[in-house]
Amino acid sequence: MSYGTTIKVPFGPQHPALKEPEYFLFEVDGDIVVKVTPRIGYVHRGVEKAFEQETYLHNLYLAERICGICSHAHSTCYTQTIEGLIPLEIPPRAVYIRLIMAELERLHSHSLWVGIAAHEAGFDTLFMYLWRDREMIMDLMEEISGNRVTHAINTIGGVRRDITSEQATKIKKFLEKFESNVKEYTKVLESEQTFIKRTKDVGVLKPRDAIVLCAVGPTLRASGIKSDVRADDPYLAYGEIPFNVITHDGCDVYARTIVRCEEMIESANIIRYALDHLPEGKIKVPPPRTIAPNESVGRVEAPRGELIHYARSNGTNKPERYKVRAPTLGNLASVCQTLIGAHVADIPLILAGIDPCFSCMDRVIITKKSV
Amino acid sequence: MVLYEIFGVFVYPGIALLFGLAFLYEWIDRKFFARVQNRMGPLYTGPSGILQPVADFLKLLSKEDIVPASCEKPIFSVIPIVYATLPLIALFVIPITGSALIAFEGDVIFLMFISAFITLSVFLAGWSSAGSFSRIGSIRSALQMLSYEIPFGLALIGPAISAHSLSLTKIAQWQVANSSWFMWLQPIGFAVVLISLLAELELVPFDIPEAETEIVAGWLTEYGGRRLALFRLGKDLELVMASTLVASLYLGGAQPLFFIPPVVILIVKSIVVLMLISFVRALFARFRIDQMTSGMWTYLLPLMIVQILLVQFGIGG
Repeated sequence: MSYGTTIKVPFGPQHPALKEPEYFLFEVDGDIVVKVTPRIGYVHRGVEKAFEQETYLHNLYLAERICGICSHAHSTCYTQTIEGLIPLEIPPRAVYIRLIMAELERLHSHSLWVGIAAHEAGFDTLFMYLWRDREMIMDLMEEISGNRVTHAINTIGGVRRDITSEQATKIKKFLEKFESNVKEYTKVLESEQTFIKRTKDVGVLKPRDAIVLCAVGPTLRASGIKSDVRADDPYLAYGEIPFNVITHDGCDVYARTIVRCEEMIESANIIRYALDHLPEGKIKVPPPRTIAPNESVGRVEAPRGELIHYARSNGTNKPERYKVRAPTLGNLASVCQTLIGAHVADIPLILAGIDPCFSCMDRVIITKKSV
Repeated sequence: MVLYEIFGVFVYPGIALLFGLAFLYEWIDRKFFARVQNRMGPLYTGPSGILQPVADFLKLLSKEDIVPASCEKPIFSVIPIVYATLPLIALFVIPITGSALIAFEGDVIFLMFISAFITLSVFLAGWSSAGSFSRIGSIRSALQMLSYEIPFGLALIGPAISAHSLSLTKIAQWQVANSSWFMWLQPIGFAVVLISLLAELELVPFDIPEAETEIVAGWLTEYGGRRLALFRLGKDLELVMASTLVASLYLGGAQPLFFIPPVVILIVKSIVVLMLISFVRALFARFRIDQMTSGMWTYLLPLMIVQILLVQFGIGG
């Protein structure tokens, strides 16, 4: 049904469905969205400029604070980029420890997201269960690295802490429990009719659109496209570990949920394999203080998708230029596309579907309108 | 005699008892819901947090009273009182102690009228506060009423047909006299009345008018302080109303059992109903308004008509 005129519905910067401040203006015809105008930049923190002011070692702490949820992905990407500048080979044990932390982080980030998706659909019970399990991962990561959120385990040239054999057994024991829980939640999500009704055929992103609009990560994989930096351009030790890239042909919010659930199980397998094949040896090598003029790009598969860091050195102990492209920026264009034609009630679900992390994304404010 | 009646209205089985039950039921609902979700629920105020609803109520009463500049002031102020009063009036008709405070032939119809009026007051509450989220919420609640009201009415009528009476007290007594509950006699009716009460109480999966993640707090968004406290009290009273209504219509009402007073029996039964409602709301995700409306009309209403036909042919009562 069309009413001829449209109503403008503001969404954000403060809204219960958005955990971070970002603004979307929806033009709504009746109950159907016809136009979306995003306005980003509310949490612009001048991160890139700050990178140029500090030394390489200081920047490590800054990189970790770009995102609260995928802090390890950012610091891995940063160390990888800087080690590419030097260039520096890190010990194999450090590689594996970084990888284990990265996969643990993926577990916690995905369980957080599936919980949020359930919450957006009004399914609070699953939200509580998933977040209870997530707490176990947080405790585990705290035990390994000493911190819950900013783990500070990475350093240029390796890692700062080792994983002991006791911790390894603990992780394995936890994985067993977590995996069976996740399998059960997946079963619930696959059979719960109210959840399926809310998510199936909601926010459809066709494979072609997904490529054209530069979608990344689970959003892209839920559109049936097999793309994962871990498999396409193996970094750390992903080339040595067998794992599957999970895809789903659903193209909707439901597919994104299932992809993330299955990725959690895949991550658990990766961690188990890595723990079994953990090489012996040193965990770090000393890096030089200054870096000769060079350029380097680091790519990491963060829980939300492909994360890109770029650095240029000029022979001092500070980078000349640093650039961060967070996965949410890649997904933003696609989410605006999928929101068109959606019901107003589905907006939070679709928006949450890309697992947005706006404060990682906000880099630049465009002040000139004519660009 | 007059004193006795005043005591009846204000203390037992009147306002004081009902307020007490309202707070108790909110606590049971919150605690049970939390335990289903593997949380602790209210914990600190009173033993096991039993006084938490009272504390919340008092806290809200002491908050600053904020009235939006563009709201419809008279309606905005009156509606919270109306909303808290309506379920209270409905509860006077329900035979909580075996006999209702006000019992007359036709109080089932009166109950339907009250339940429609509650939704109307919700609509007015959202509409008068003039916020965009409130308006969406109030339209949704009106739409929701259009879909559950008819199956709900029919589900109240089913037992009335069997008991040959439109009086709740008589329906409850019929069940005691025949020693059979309508839950067993008319199971479809029982299911329908539970589902439509979930919609009436705006609980998951039908909490569409106040869907937190979509429209903030829906029709309640602009309310705060003592107005919100009154709405919360009204909601608790509605919870009591719904569970006691189901208990007396479908679960045999206040039956005397050995030496236990009938009022205790009814409260226990209604707590069972309450826990059923809490359990259901922990199990589902929220429907979208169009899914809810079409679902109600395509499944619930035909099912209820089948139930009424069965009753007419003498099956189930």
